[in-house]
Amino acid sequence: MSLVDDLRSALSHDRVLEEPLELHLYSKDASMMRGEATCVVLTETTDEVAAVVRIAEDHRVPIVARGAGTGLTAGASPTEGGIVLSTTLMNDIEIDVDNRTAWVGAGVINLDLSTYAEPYGLHFAPDPSSQSVCTIGGNVANNSGGAHCLAEGATTSHVLGLEVVLAGGEVVVLGGEAPDSPGLDIKGIIVGSEGTLGIVTSALVRLLPLDPDVRTLLIDFETMEEATQTVSDMIAAGFVPAALEIMDQKMMVAVENWLHAGFPTDAAAMLLAEVVGETEAVTAEAALISEMAYKNNARGVELAEDEAHRAKLWKGRKSAFGALAQISPDYYLHDTVVPRSRLVETMDEVQQIADRYGLDVYNVFHAGDGNLHPLISFDASEEGMLDKVQRAGEEMVAACLRNGGALSGEHGIGLEKRDMMRASFTELDLDAQARLKEAFDPEGLFNPAKILPEGSRCFDFGGTRRPIPEGAWV
Amino acid sequence: MTHPGDIMRLEAEIAGVPADVLAVAPSTNDEVASVLRYASDSNKVVDVLGGGTHHGYGSPRQPEIVLSMGRFDQTEAWNPEDLTVVVGGGMPIERLEGMLAERSQTAVLPEVPGSSTVGGAISAGMSSLRRGRLYGTRERVLEVTLVTGDGRVVRAGGRVVKNVTGYDLPRLVVGAFGSLGVITSICLKLWPVPPAAMTVIVDDVSAADVVSRPLAVLESDDRKAVFIWGTESEVEAVSGRLRGEEIPGLDWPVDPAGSLRWSLRVPPANTSEAIAKLPGGWRYLAVHGVGDIRLASDSRQGAGALRSWAEGIGGRLVVTESPPASLPDFDPWGEPPPAIELQRRVIAQFDPRRIINPGRLAGGL
Ligand SMILES: Cc1cc2nc3c(=O)[nH]c(=O)nc-3n(C[C@H](O)[C@H](O)[C@H](O)COP(=O)(O)OP(=O)(O)OC[C@H]3O[C@@H](n4cnc5c(N)ncnc54)[C@H](O)[C@@H]3O)c2cc1C
Repeated sequence: MSLVDDLRSALSHDRVLEEPLELHLYSKDASMMRGEATCVVLTETTDEVAAVVRIAEDHRVPIVARGAGTGLTAGASPTEGGIVLSTTLMNDIEIDVDNRTAWVGAGVINLDLSTYAEPYGLHFAPDPSSQSVCTIGGNVANNSGGAHCLAEGATTSHVLGLEVVLAGGEVVVLGGEAPDSPGLDIKGIIVGSEGTLGIVTSALVRLLPLDPDVRTLLIDFETMEEATQTVSDMIAAGFVPAALEIMDQKMMVAVENWLHAGFPTDAAAMLLAEVVGETEAVTAEAALISEMAYKNNARGVELAEDEAHRAKLWKGRKSAFGALAQISPDYYLHDTVVPRSRLVETMDEVQQIADRYGLDVYNVFHAGDGNLHPLISFDASEEGMLDKVQRAGEEMVAACLRNGGALSGEHGIGLEKRDMMRASFTELDLDAQARLKEAFDPEGLFNPAKILPEGSRCFDFGGTRRPIPEGAWV
Repeated sequence: MTHPGDIMRLEAEIAGVPADVLAVAPSTNDEVASVLRYASDSNKVVDVLGGGTHHGYGSPRQPEIVLSMGRFDQTEAWNPEDLTVVVGGGMPIERLEGMLAERSQTAVLPEVPGSSTVGGAISAGMSSLRRGRLYGTRERVLEVTLVTGDGRVVRAGGRVVKNVTGYDLPRLVVGAFGSLGVITSICLKLWPVPPAAMTVIVDDVSAADVVSRPLAVLESDDRKAVFIWGTESEVEAVSGRLRGEEIPGLDWPVDPAGSLRWSLRVPPANTSEAIAKLPGGWRYLAVHGVGDIRLASDSRQGAGALRSWAEGIGGRLVVTESPPASLPDFDPWGEPPPAIELQRRVIAQFDPRRIINPGRLAGGL
């Protein structure tokens, strides 16, 4: 039987898509790289996922898991063809209030989980800016971060267990509510593995209690340097608030045009800072933040008056990427991370690179973690533009590495940064990672060609990995 | 093949190592690599010695080589303004935390470590009593350098607090008992120590409900206490609400002592029930909100029933220390963990001859 026939008999006719228009919709994520799937399946149960994995193995075709497709590194783009497995129908939530945990289907939308948990006085800490659309499966696969991961850690710190379909269609349940499961932390290595080790069908996540009190401060500066220096000063002084986010003037203007969040568009940069906890704590900490900001010549510090005001500020922050749609048809975003004491220098270098290439760069980033997001806006239809943008982007990443940073803080490697991995790791380092992949997926069917550059496995002359296909960039 | 003469150069006196066991104390990655290559080539079992405090786990095989991490006790880099530190795998926890305390920082490692080393606590997956608020040791490890069983020097992760560059090997080594390699260097994410702290003795752990996220709620045989830290005004206000005897600072209890030591791990909501189920005479220290209960006893009486109950609710009863041959027919870890074949395949990629600490991991790995 053909691949599609096999899949249809395992699932149902209408949950296996193969029309060209349908395939086109699933051909890329939110990055600039497109692939072409043979077909798309919409699974409802773990057994169905296991069946799809076995069918993929029988037909020797790759299988690419997909949540909401908001990934920014082509992780969910089927660049090697094969089956795209969409998890969006796997969206059960089972909450355990006493243990402050929940089993959550891979397709559950991040924000839906927190909304669901709210009446119980609980929430899911990782809050990527894309949280109103991205899925828990995608968060787990990318070990996603968010503004509030500064104090609470990224997704991995909140995943206590996983149900996963491994090679051969084997279903395993890893971890659990009890701490310190014996044996190797297989669950931990699957978090952040970008769909290359298996398919996550469901996750046991930790939920945190809602905070008794909160203070949100909007601080504006006349220079970007003063804003970043304030953040470096706070960390150096041993003060880690719940969130520390910076936005530059250009970005504020774009957001204001659209959402009217109340950002100070005449300032060079703004810092959005938040502290949570007991009332006595947040009062004192908010005062401390103001003090440190004024020391760095802040023009003004505005305290969010109420929950509505606070929500408006956060909406403005989290919608920043979207706001760029008014500026230019395309944007290219790099996600890198530097030690927090190197923020000022690195931001400076990024601007110089943009200037040298004559490109417009916008900045909105998780400053407290040293996690930069320089965003280059451009029009891909202009001759030679994409190439220029790519080269500038690579220089920005290189500048971060020179400053002691890493390739990616939260978006992952995918295909986009795969070939830059050699700048971060030795041959032996990459070989060790390739061996890990081999132990999970000897046939190389799970999201092939992602994360590890071709030839990572030393002494491996067979070579299942190929160069980035011609025309993958859109 | 490594020449045995190269290894002999690294020979060292290590207290308690029998004469027929080769004791070595290398001081560089290359030296560790040559020891491990030699051991792999000649199929010799290597026991990696940190502080020697987590040596009770699993069913270890008799070692032919003892590799001391004693010379990997340096601070390679401390960047207080970035809240990161890089130390050798043999760095004693107590010395590290003492140094960090001078700048009001902590690596959130176990509070009463004895002679424990950073590498040892990571390998054994030991966490701080503050884990309910600040998470476990796995959330601290940003970068590791490993020497694999076949002598490759491998680095993973990075010296930044947020990183998704490649597979998360730094977290995989936590609790791996050296099965992926000898950890020679570690970058840890530090946390600031706020200005004020208080230990409040309470009658019942439910008293802690008035605090949103206490640093720790600990219960032992003779004491229930809530630990809080923060700004002066916060600590004062919260202590007041707790209405108990106040002891300034963090007055950590020690793990209970006994010839047999155990780790009982249950879903957090079952912690009080677990304490009630302990056999008579067993001593305990429980971390509420986490389900991490450290136990000691002088006999194994009642252990079987306790384990059955724990495993029935998704928990574990693990032997962490026992006199030799005192627990025949009682697997130190209990039922084997899931995905055991996969674990075996992963380990084979790092320690193909399975020479480093074989038998210590659950499932006899
Ligand atoms: C506007 C915008 C803002 C963003 N803000 C942030 C942010 O603040 N922080 C942040 O970290 N990221 C951010 N991102 C990136 C992205 O949203 C996250 O990586 C998100 O977690 C991806 O989820 P998804 O459901 O869209 O996954 P997808 O894009 O569908 O997939 C992402 C990767 O996960 C794999 N995958 C998906 N589901 C599974 C599964 N069930 N099992 C195994 N593998 C799976 C895919 O194969 C792919 O490799 C942002 C993106 C956009 C477009």
